[in-house]
Amino acid sequence: MWYRSASCILDKRRNDTVLIPETRPATSSASPMASENPHPQQKQNPDPHISLYYQTRAAHHAVVTSDWLAQAQAAVGRHRDDAVSDNSSAGGEESGNAFSVIDEFNNWRKQPDLAEAVAAIRALASVIRSSQATTMMELEIELKKASDSLKSWDATSISLTAGCDLFMRYVTRTSALEHEDFNSAKSRLLERAERFGEISYKARKIIAMLSQEFIFDGCTILVHGFSRVVLEVLRTAAQNRKLFRVLCTEGRPDRTGLRLSNELAKLDVPVKLLIDSAVAYSMDEVDMVFVGADGVVESGGIINMMGTYQIALVAKSMNKPVYVAAESYKFARLYPLDQKDMVPALHPIDFGVPIPSKVEVETSARDYTPPQYLTFLFTDLGVLSPSVVSDELIQLYL
Amino acid sequence: MPEVNSLVNEFLIKLKKRKIEGSKATAKLTAEVLRSFISQKRLPHTNQADALIEAVKAVGEELIDANPVELAVGNIVRRVLHIIREEDLSLTTAAVGGLSLSAESDNEDDVDQDDHPVLSATAVAAAARSTLRPPSLQTLLEDMPHSTAVPQTSSSGGDSEGKSKSADKNLKTRKLKHNVIEAVNELIQDISTCHELIAEQAVEHIHQNEVILTLGSSRTVTEFLCAAKEKKRSFRVFVAEGAPRYQGHALAKELAARGLQTTIITDSAVFAMISRVNMVIVGAHAVMANGGVIAPVGMNMVALAAQRHAVPFVVLAGVHKLCPLYPHNPEVLLNELKSPSELLDFGEFSDCLDFGCRSGSPLLHVVNPAFDYVPPNLVSLFITDTGGHNPSYMYRLLADYYSADDLVVRRRSAS
Amino acid sequence: MVAKKGGNRGEDAEDELKREPLQAILLADSFATKFRPITLERPKVLLPLVNVPMIDYTLAWLESAGVEEVFVFCCAHSKQVIDYLKNSKWFGQPNFAVSTIESHDSISAGDALRLIYERHVINGDFILVTGDTVSNMPLIQALKEHKERRRKDNNAVMTIVIKQSKPSSITNQSRLGTEELFMAIDPGTKQLLYYEDKADDRKGTISLDKGLLMDNASISLHNDKQDCYIDICSPEVLSLFTDNFDYQHLRRHFVKGLLVDDIMGYKIFTHEIHASYAARIDNYRSYDTISKDIIQRWTYPLVPDVQFFGNCASKLERRGMYRASEVGLSRSAQIGPFTVIGNGTSIGSNTEISDSVVGEDCVIGSNVSIEGCYIWNNVTIENGCKLRHAIVCDGVIMKSGAVLEPGAVLSFKVVVGQQFIVPAYSKVSLLQQPVIKDSDEELEYDDNSSGIIGIPSISSTPEKLNDQFGTKLSDSQRRAGSEVGDGGVGFIWSLGEGGHEEEWRHSVAPIPADKLIEIIRTATDELEISNQDGNFLPPSGELEPDSVDNDSDEDARDDYSYFEKEVEATFLRAVHENVKEDHIILEVNALRLSYNLTSTDCASALFYSMMKLASDTPHDTPGELVKNVATVITKWKQLLKDYLSSIDEEIEVILKFEELCLESTKEYTPLFVQVLHLLYDQDVIQEKAILDWASEKEEAEESDKLFLKQAEKFIQWLNEASEEED
Repeated sequence: MWYRSASCILDKRRNDTVLIPETRPATSSASPMASENPHPQQKQNPDPHISLYYQTRAAHHAVVTSDWLAQAQAAVGRHRDDAVSDNSSAGGEESGNAFSVIDEFNNWRKQPDLAEAVAAIRALASVIRSSQATTMMELEIELKKASDSLKSWDATSISLTAGCDLFMRYVTRTSALEHEDFNSAKSRLLERAERFGEISYKARKIIAMLSQEFIFDGCTILVHGFSRVVLEVLRTAAQNRKLFRVLCTEGRPDRTGLRLSNELAKLDVPVKLLIDSAVAYSMDEVDMVFVGADGVVESGGIINMMGTYQIALVAKSMNKPVYVAAESYKFARLYPLDQKDMVPALHPIDFGVPIPSKVEVETSARDYTPPQYLTFLFTDLGVLSPSVVSDELIQLYL
Repeated sequence: MPEVNSLVNEFLIKLKKRKIEGSKATAKLTAEVLRSFISQKRLPHTNQADALIEAVKAVGEELIDANPVELAVGNIVRRVLHIIREEDLSLTTAAVGGLSLSAESDNEDDVDQDDHPVLSATAVAAAARSTLRPPSLQTLLEDMPHSTAVPQTSSSGGDSEGKSKSADKNLKTRKLKHNVIEAVNELIQDISTCHELIAEQAVEHIHQNEVILTLGSSRTVTEFLCAAKEKKRSFRVFVAEGAPRYQGHALAKELAARGLQTTIITDSAVFAMISRVNMVIVGAHAVMANGGVIAPVGMNMVALAAQRHAVPFVVLAGVHKLCPLYPHNPEVLLNELKSPSELLDFGEFSDCLDFGCRSGSPLLHVVNPAFDYVPPNLVSLFITDTGGHNPSYMYRLLADYYSADDLVVRRRSAS
Repeated sequence: MVAKKGGNRGEDAEDELKREPLQAILLADSFATKFRPITLERPKVLLPLVNVPMIDYTLAWLESAGVEEVFVFCCAHSKQVIDYLKNSKWFGQPNFAVSTIESHDSISAGDALRLIYERHVINGDFILVTGDTVSNMPLIQALKEHKERRRKDNNAVMTIVIKQSKPSSITNQSRLGTEELFMAIDPGTKQLLYYEDKADDRKGTISLDKGLLMDNASISLHNDKQDCYIDICSPEVLSLFTDNFDYQHLRRHFVKGLLVDDIMGYKIFTHEIHASYAARIDNYRSYDTISKDIIQRWTYPLVPDVQFFGNCASKLERRGMYRASEVGLSRSAQIGPFTVIGNGTSIGSNTEISDSVVGEDCVIGSNVSIEGCYIWNNVTIENGCKLRHAIVCDGVIMKSGAVLEPGAVLSFKVVVGQQFIVPAYSKVSLLQQPVIKDSDEELEYDDNSSGIIGIPSISSTPEKLNDQFGTKLSDSQRRAGSEVGDGGVGFIWSLGEGGHEEEWRHSVAPIPADKLIEIIRTATDELEISNQDGNFLPPSGELEPDSVDNDSDEDARDDYSYFEKEVEATFLRAVHENVKEDHIILEVNALRLSYNLTSTDCASALFYSMMKLASDTPHDTPGELVKNVATVITKWKQLLKDYLSSIDEEIEVILKFEELCLESTKEYTPLFVQVLHLLYDQDVIQEKAILDWASEKEEAEESDKLFLKQAEKFIQWLNEASEEED
């Protein structure tokens, strides 16, 4: 279960107070309680052992990259008529919302380089489209429900949560919305939602640009896990004819490192693969550590693929800088106190040999890296130190 | 205009020749040059703020290029840019407010901007505010970061924004420049008074019978210590001489003249003495956005010594030294290698430098870096003229001195 | 305008510093041929030094040193120089006026200054530099001193700037490749008394005028000072040049001229700089040295990463590597330390560059190795080339696999054929070597005159030069090609004056080890002597005090004279402190061994010292002298006898005595016989020895028989005595 920071609890309570009166007229199947405890909805997860997040990640970043392309095409294709169907079934009963949202989201998230958060927001946008609320307030409530169901449907995807929160934030308090009439406001929301995709692309470009100055000639960069942003950063650096080499961790269990090393080899950047346990061994030749992030939390720390934490520890002990590249929509309103203080994102580990049933296997797939081990975060808001990040988040959600 | 150009050029040459020492002097000169530049600049009638900003940016880029190591130049340029934006904003909002109240009063082209004057006004205001604010999560959706008013106009209120500009040009033309120059004057004032402001806080930090250690010489530190002395505090000062320039000697002289109990030590003796020290007070060359400090060479060692013995390491820095950039590879890029002759006498070593014999490649190298980079975790406190600050909160200060999209001045010129 | 009265100078000397603008004369022509063949196509002052033309360094320094008005004197290639200055931003700087003076017939610095004198542009003290000076020294102090002196004494016309720089002990040349320079300076007044930049023989022996030693309380002689060729002159200097038309060379004629003539009584003073840097590029060796000094930042702020003037910014990276912003560097290329890479240059894979300067827009292939080279702009170096300590001018093309051996110089647009090996110290140019053979002396001056023979019009714009080359190539293609490999273009110049053995001294390449060994071998013997001079000071050190400088009277001595001196010293000590004889014998033997001589020498040496002692002990009549001799001999004959083991020694002694009478102490000449008799009586010498000596002397020529005649009677008597015996 998430530990919620005080600020979140506050505005959750406020939302509830908002919710209680509103739910009576709207006889919805998705009970407001659903937003309280995600578990009942967890059953929608086809395979409970693998967290949905990692199912899609596997689909996108698996070393075997034959099928996901086709999938992606399909997804794109499907999305078209989905949108149509949404618009057509605008008159449908609103109980459909929750489901349609999730399907919608799944369609979106199937596209390989569409960020989770973007998918989420697009999904919410489709909710707006299909809703026939007549006041801002109603619309808000619908969205709230939709986003809650989304969040609860895959509680392991942080950027999904973050995306929803962000969008809700925007809907609930935006200076630009205050004075306009409902329709124009609605259209504005849709426009924004559409635009958000661009933001996510632009964000990567910005981050890549910001990080260039930090990559100096002849430096050695240690990369852990496959992150589109980090890849973008390295690609830009290679295009700027910087001379650098990359050490890639293997990234067990889903071996994301192999994929990254492929990509880098295509850019003919000299790259070297390490097994995850060889990090400390080769840290002395490393000049900087570059990682992506599943989510950036209110402490200024990050939640990322398993192993990030120990790499950060090693780097810290050897005084190597640790840089995090993360789009700002990954900023999530969580405040994990320790490693176990998160919804375990499960991921099966293939040990090659059958494991006797008595033996327990740690299948959680990511860890939490506290802020004091991070040097800078490169975000589309600029180069930030961890303390700035937490400041940003608090400012936003307080 | 020509005489201004000559003025700018002269300053440029001075910077290039490294004729100007010390960030304060540089900052002041920069501000003055920019002031005269602005005052001479004649502006177009439509959106002159942008024109002015562009012009200043152009000049600023040259100035920064002239001596990229002297960060004060860039800081002041950005400060001035920020000032311009602020003034422009305040004028705009004021004007629009006035306009919206008396929507009928201006009759000539009332037709195009009829719809919600109130909305447009606030929209413009919001937009303007968001351009000033550093990009944050709030503004993420409202309008994209790093893409200024353009999407703004496309989305809403843009027309009325243009309108408002055209409407009240007559009063703005006069006002903007005037206000900006006023503000720049204030800035210059701040720079010249920052010593006093910092020194005023001395008493809160230096207590009776304490032992203070400092390295090299800094105007600010001198004032600070003397201020405490004048407040009848009695304390002792250890001065590390600060090789190879030995400015510490000058400092010691002055302190002794002002009746302070002073001890000179060699830089290498810092570790030996630190255990007796209650506080380390030093000046800085520049303070980076993450709280890291660019300081005279040797400072990092002092900071480490202080940390080792848990002695508070206090850095005094006027606001003009706050740099909105994050340091990358500071030891190399933000450093300057001075002439080796500061270290040793050329004549004595000339036979080691004879390339005529042996392989012909120099065997004796002399490296004389000017600066040190002190990472933020070694600094306990910054004292600026606005008070004491924690290293991790430097960016907060910066946020209200600089506007986000001015950082690009440096970035463009650097790449 | 000249000759200010010393009186009124006094008051306004200080504010004069501010009042009249400080002027400088910059000679943009070296009037030398050291940089041929390059200087046939481009004036020396425009040659890039670490990618910036030399003249920019000089001007930048003058500008920052507070000079307000500079007259650039252009002679050879004057057009190029003027065009360059026009295009550069030097004209129209705030309060820094640059104006050019053009001349086509000047063939020396003397002519230049005479011309400038006629222009009447100089009013007041001025700085005189050449366009190839690199410095960062502040002039204020030197100027102040100069004006101070002027106020006291109107004859102090010139202050030359010097800097300490030890010459190499082996090659006797400074690190700038110039000859070892000897200066005699009055330590008090810093007046220059003696200036010798051509120490003729490698022994490093110079001869000082006795006068110097006499009329100066103390003079210090330096060989570790480097002349920076920065002179602060009073207007008189110009008029002096006009007065004596034969003055050509600034140092060799003017300075020495002033030093020797004491009619006018003009004085030259020196100003030594310590912290700041100053040097002049005189030859390839100094080009190399100063480039490295610049890269090592001795000339700060005139360094590549500071835009002191016009030069594009380059970033200083780790290990002292300067790199401009757009450099196409392959991943596997290795750029060593202390290397400068210019803008727009691309470098191929596996290429190694170290201690070199690469200009702008060069294309360097892969597997190239470059070490200690100076590569200018737009040079193309194809794969697999090897360059060692060479200078490669603009537009050169090196086909794949070509090799430059140390000291090679490729002038503009030369093309080196595939696999061709350019031999060491050779100079390659598109231009034929000028056929005229002048003696060195002339060559020093007429840069442009013989330059004109080199190429038709010396003062023509580069483009024109180029198409001239174009035509040149067409006809000379075959010949040229044959000279620098197939597909190559250029003539290899025959090593000019000085010949090969001089080339290595001044080339960019470091002096090869074998040369050094050679020099050491040749130098060894003198060194030994000087060493002995150092090591074998007698315990009591009663040698007569040496003259001010040790190296002046080193040469005339040979082992024996040393030995004799020391034996004498020992003996005298024995006399005064009446040491035991056997001790003396020990010491003398030791000396004998150390000098590796025979006991004969010991005998004569001892005898010599005895006689000297006798003559030194006060006496006024020959009679007393004889008495002295008698006493000494009687006292010390045992000692002497010790070495007179055989007749030969005794004869030796007699010969020695003869020589003594002839040369050192003439007063013995009349007393020869008496002393000889005395010796006989003391039976230091047996009659046989005397007789043998006599018979030996019989067949000597008349001049030598002088003493024989004297001794005739004595010898007769001896003969008779011997006959009576048997």
